Amino acid sequence: MLITELKSRETIVSLTEGKKVFIINCRGCAEVHFPEKEAEEFEKDLAAKGMVTGSITTDYICNPDNMKLRLEKHKGEIEEADAVLVLSCGVGVQTIAGYLEEKPVYAACDTYPLPGFQGVTPLEYQCGQCGECYLNLTGGICPITACSKSLVNGQCGGAKNGKCEVDGDMECGWERIYRRLAQIGRLDVLKCPTQVRNFATDDEVSK
Amino acid sequence: MKITELFERGEFVVSAEVGPPKGFHVEHMLVDAKKYLSGVTAVNVTDNQSSVMRLGSLAVSKALLDQGMTPIYQLTCRDRNRIALQSDLLSAAMFGIENLLLLTGDHTKLGDHPQAKPVFDLDSVSLIHAVKQLESGRDLGGNELVGEPPKFAKGAVVSPCSDSVDAQLAKMERKVRAGAEYFQTQAVFEPEKFIKFMEKAKQFGKPVQVGIIIPKSAGMAKFMNNNVAGIHVPDEMIEELKKDKEKTKAGITGVEIAARIIKECRPYCQGVHIMALGWEDKVPELLKQAGI
Amino acid sequence: MEDYTKYRLKGKDELVSLLEGRDHLFIISCNKCFKEFKTAEEPERGELEALAAENGKTVTGSAGVDFLCNKTQTEKKLQDMIPEGTENILVAACGLGIQTVADLAGLPVYAAGDSLNYRGFHGMALTERKCDACAQCYLNITGGICPIVDCSKSLVNGQCGGARDGKCEVDSSKDCAWEKIYRRLEKQGRLEEFLSQPVQLRDYSKVNFKFVNDYVKSIRENRLEGYYGGVHPSERKERTEHLALQRFPEPAEVVIPLSMHAGAPANPTVQVGDTVKVGQKIGEAAAFISSNIHSSVSGTVTAIENRKHATRGECLSVVIRSDGKNTLDESVKPRGDLDSLTPEEIVEIVQEAGIVGMGGAGFPTSVKLKPAKPVDTILLNGCECEPLLTADHRVLLEFADDVIFGLQAIIKAVNAEKGVIVIEDNKPDAIALMREKTAGYSNMEVVEAKTKYPQGAEKMLIRRVTGRKVPSGGLPADVGCIVSNISTTKAIADAIRKGMPLVERVVTVTGERLKHPGNFLVKIGTNTRELIDYCGGVSGEGEVLFKAGGPMMGFDLSDLNVPIMKGSNGIIAIDTDHTAEQPCIKCGRCADVCPMELSPLYFAKFADEQNWQGMKEKNVMDCIECRCCEYICSSKIPLVAKIKAGKTAVRGMK
Repeated sequence: MLITELKSRETIVSLTEGKKVFIINCRGCAEVHFPEKEAEEFEKDLAAKGMVTGSITTDYICNPDNMKLRLEKHKGEIEEADAVLVLSCGVGVQTIAGYLEEKPVYAACDTYPLPGFQGVTPLEYQCGQCGECYLNLTGGICPITACSKSLVNGQCGGAKNGKCEVDGDMECGWERIYRRLAQIGRLDVLKCPTQVRNFATDDEVSK
Repeated sequence: MKITELFERGEFVVSAEVGPPKGFHVEHMLVDAKKYLSGVTAVNVTDNQSSVMRLGSLAVSKALLDQGMTPIYQLTCRDRNRIALQSDLLSAAMFGIENLLLLTGDHTKLGDHPQAKPVFDLDSVSLIHAVKQLESGRDLGGNELVGEPPKFAKGAVVSPCSDSVDAQLAKMERKVRAGAEYFQTQAVFEPEKFIKFMEKAKQFGKPVQVGIIIPKSAGMAKFMNNNVAGIHVPDEMIEELKKDKEKTKAGITGVEIAARIIKECRPYCQGVHIMALGWEDKVPELLKQAGI
Repeated sequence: MEDYTKYRLKGKDELVSLLEGRDHLFIISCNKCFKEFKTAEEPERGELEALAAENGKTVTGSAGVDFLCNKTQTEKKLQDMIPEGTENILVAACGLGIQTVADLAGLPVYAAGDSLNYRGFHGMALTERKCDACAQCYLNITGGICPIVDCSKSLVNGQCGGARDGKCEVDSSKDCAWEKIYRRLEKQGRLEEFLSQPVQLRDYSKVNFKFVNDYVKSIRENRLEGYYGGVHPSERKERTEHLALQRFPEPAEVVIPLSMHAGAPANPTVQVGDTVKVGQKIGEAAAFISSNIHSSVSGTVTAIENRKHATRGECLSVVIRSDGKNTLDESVKPRGDLDSLTPEEIVEIVQEAGIVGMGGAGFPTSVKLKPAKPVDTILLNGCECEPLLTADHRVLLEFADDVIFGLQAIIKAVNAEKGVIVIEDNKPDAIALMREKTAGYSNMEVVEAKTKYPQGAEKMLIRRVTGRKVPSGGLPADVGCIVSNISTTKAIADAIRKGMPLVERVVTVTGERLKHPGNFLVKIGTNTRELIDYCGGVSGEGEVLFKAGGPMMGFDLSDLNVPIMKGSNGIIAIDTDHTAEQPCIKCGRCADVCPMELSPLYFAKFADEQNWQGMKEKNVMDCIECRCCEYICSSKIPLVAKIKAGKTAVRGMK
């Protein structure tokens, strides 16, 4: 469950120019941002030129088992196409590309991260999945995501009127942390030892 | 002096490398370099090789230059983002450093600071592109540089004995297209593989220096086989190293092997790059035996 | 299935030092997500309790919570969870869960877990494929293999020199992504295309957090707008919303089932061979919860026998051959104006006319109009939140005066204070018209509601408009409301003004696979196939799915040879989706969208285990079968079927 945006028209045109395409639209996680109108228009344009062998609009194309069942019904149309154009997040495109190994599979969208882990309620909170939770030192406000620089040892000098130097609409994460700590009487945690982050990831070499 | 000029003149270019120390005392290293590497044209300075933190390659390159040697400044993408990389390139130009070897760099996990954040903002191809961009008088952000832009000899690496040699050749081609002017290779122990590789690499028309490591022992050879990508020391070579332990220990066998490899590869390439790994003192003898 | 659990407990040493100087602990652990749904309870809570005990701490209590990051539900659960005397809360969850509790608890909250740091985002099918959401998809130049996630260095211009035997230098259990990419491109003959790509430079400014945050804010607002949960399926109403009603051609024969309502089937009052007229009663309500049935044509009864039925398989039906004359029955005559009718008389007219809820449920309207508790507000449900359907929309536009008359009748029948016509904001023309038409009435208002499914469900509608919450197991009247459907209200007007019982209704015939969609005024008992044929049949290739009703709540029609009934608001022809049920991945989305704030994932699990007691405890009886959970379920679990089985079993337990 990620946010998708259509790539620029020129980019998609450069991918599909002169090619017959089969189009797969993922209305995805059903509630998630999908450029529905632009996608429809684009498909109509291509179809008008006779360049579309077929298309399906469906959901959760990242599920390989169900996609296999669905794509089998469109085998002929896919075979007839020079390329498959997928409008979905990156996971969906990879799933289709993995299933149709012999066929060029193109991504028509760019994918943006969505706060809150996929599927679970889109949240106002974010978790950077840093693997070494800092919330005990920050009164439960995440410094990795609430601070533009992901600082773990306190505020930088860039905040102005309580706003972040990177994004004037964003409150300075460390000011929020300071307030929260004061509120719960835990300012003493600011005297904790200097924090040094560990960037070793769990799915590569563990610590 | 740019080593590309030497290639253009048709010279067989010899380079060797030094690894900066973990500390800032370079006197000993400089003495050794002067003593043993006088016969080589240029000296590579590694950039936190194997992701192990050391003295900076820019500073050591400058120190070599001050000693009258020709440094090849190695720069990797692991530790710096595009701002730092470009800034360091300008620093190098200011120091009068003219030769670059541009690499992606080993992953942080492999070194002595596995907790470090790997940067990889650019990679080797885009780093070459960045250098070319600077040479055109603009930075990667498209902003104009003040004054005369820098000019470098842009080197890159390739791994000819890699088990995915096709993918390596494709990458090499991308490096060439991005602006790489010469190549140094990963250490070669199988000249026949190298020759085959060169038959394909020839098409790019860029000079290639074959990479050479003087094997120190059978144990080292086995270690490299197990742990270093793109290196394979054949069994008979390991046997050769095992045969006379004393001779091997003294470096005689290793130098013989390395010299043999150089001789076999020489007709197919434009230079040699020696990674002595602490055996800098053996370099003069190696060059002698190789007939350079 | 990959296990994408989001957290693990911190190390023992860290936890012990965390507990130093802190006591009177309450322990909350999240029941985890994105893993196979095997057990409800995860071990972390027990481990923390043991650790606290070992260190001589007082534990004031503990709880395992599902989807701790679901703020609305967690807030509710926290209200009476934490006992007096608790000084510190220890939370075993990912960063999201901990932040949620820290925000809500008002007590110092400590993290007992670390989020696991995976690279990239997995999909909704727990495979190995992940996306880093880099906002500049590279898959087009890499043959559909992600260089950002799959390459340890996230290289975008080709392989580094570190691969050995095709494995990554960082993790030898991982294939070198660029080698995979190379092979894939080679296979597709796309190497030259790759080589001639310009140098790729990542643009880290592409991820626009403002855009992302604004978007998230908007979906959160949508999700919580008016009532918790709900979904926004693609509406697809543009096919028919602007098509004026057409009278469907006279059927040669009608098959009128004696059961088109909740409760007992009607008893036939005619015999084979009888001549009947339009509006003549042909079936008599058989019980308190039952309904009269009337003939929609004039003609001859040719059979009274079991015929196919859209929702019951088969049903005793009266088959009438039409004489094409549409002669009105003598009983069809105006019943006077509202002022002259007493509430009791209105209810009787409604009962006599066989009016039942025409939104699909078919509950006898006359029963609704005799509520056990005082009612102050009548809600007219003009939401029509079902995708595709536009029947009520057209009724609002073309029978506005009838609808208003019907509403006045209901207000009078139950002595309510006011009537509220609720219309979703996707029908601005209907909103404008109804506002204009009701301007002169002090006891009526029109409320524009932001589109969300299942807004038209009684409980949701009441919540949205009045803020009142119908208690578990309760009825709208418990909170002083009656909800009436638009077509039903219009039918009430017809029954009073013309004396015409419920013998026809508006049906939307549509769907992406139907050639010529439309809105039709159709006689009850008309054959469904005739409607499809009249609309030109189906278009396109592949299997078609026919449904009676909308795509969400409608019933699959395996056989089109069934009659249009009182509750038939639509007939749709849509694409068939070829999927199979997959295991639950605990994504939490069903709990996220359930407007009744239930946890449907447990219904699936418990139904499979035949744990009916468990289903009862999870309040299965509160489910309104709106299908939001099934719609959102990425594993395509037929949740509603499982819920229905559970409800049947729970009813049997009493």
